Amino acid sequence: MLARMQQSTIALLRDDPTAIVIELAGEHDIHTAPELRERVADALSQGLPLVVDLTPATFIDSSILGVLIGAHRRLHEAGLGFAVCAGSAEEPGVRRILEVTGLIPVLPVLPDRAAALAFARVAPEPS
Amino acid sequence: MSDAAVVQLELAARTDNVAVVRQAVVAAAEALSADAAVVADMKLAVTEACTNVILHAYVEPGGPIEVELLALDRGLTIVVRDHGVGMSPRPPRLAPANGSGLGLGLPLMAAIAEDFEVHGVPGGGTEVRMTFDLERSAVTATAEGSAS
Repeated sequence: MLARMQQSTIALLRDDPTAIVIELAGEHDIHTAPELRERVADALSQGLPLVVDLTPATFIDSSILGVLIGAHRRLHEAGLGFAVCAGSAEEPGVRRILEVTGLIPVLPVLPDRAAALAFARVAPEPS
Repeated sequence: MSDAAVVQLELAARTDNVAVVRQAVVAAAEALSADAAVVADMKLAVTEACTNVILHAYVEPGGPIEVELLALDRGLTIVVRDHGVGMSPRPPRLAPANGSGLGLGLPLMAAIAEDFEVHGVPGGGTEVRMTFDLERSAVTATAEGSAS
């Protein structure tokens, strides 16, 4: 049974000069939340909008949601855009927690990376 | 039919063991032919339960997490038990570094399980007991609002 455990990775992508993408693949929980928090801090230090792409992820828990909400707050405070994309995969391990918690409009969550990047490039209004 | 334990695990309350518990739940649920959506909910619920143990149960790290998976006629009960300090409002040690701080764990478990109970353990500790039907009804029980 343990042979089925998938490789979980967190990659910080700088392909786009106008934004940073952090891509999560596999399953993520309290064990990988600290690494994601570090990657968010790395991205924040670059002073660019941030997109967290959960499309290749197969599972996230509330520890990961906590990091995402914290990232949203910190980017907003820095005047930088932030968005999450979750794709529309049949794998319910990501979409389910977003739906149950009602956080899809809060984060916000977009259906693909292009839409998320377009959203994040628009700097937030000062609150 | 009386509960029959199909899996019993005892692991140290460490973050790297949460995935091990999750995979054990997946294996048991799939062996019982649970719907994929139900398996996903079981994974989330047991992850949140184990995370609570890691964050809240033990002042010193690495105390035991006990997990039992009990097969029912048309369901699976997941029991997660610790022998720690009980339901403290703030994590004793790990929360600032590893915790979400959202307080979503218990509401999430309560929202997605068909039946959800939390008990104290004699001698100290907490037991979370969550039961899931193996088949998801056509009207899916979404729980927006329950956990927010």
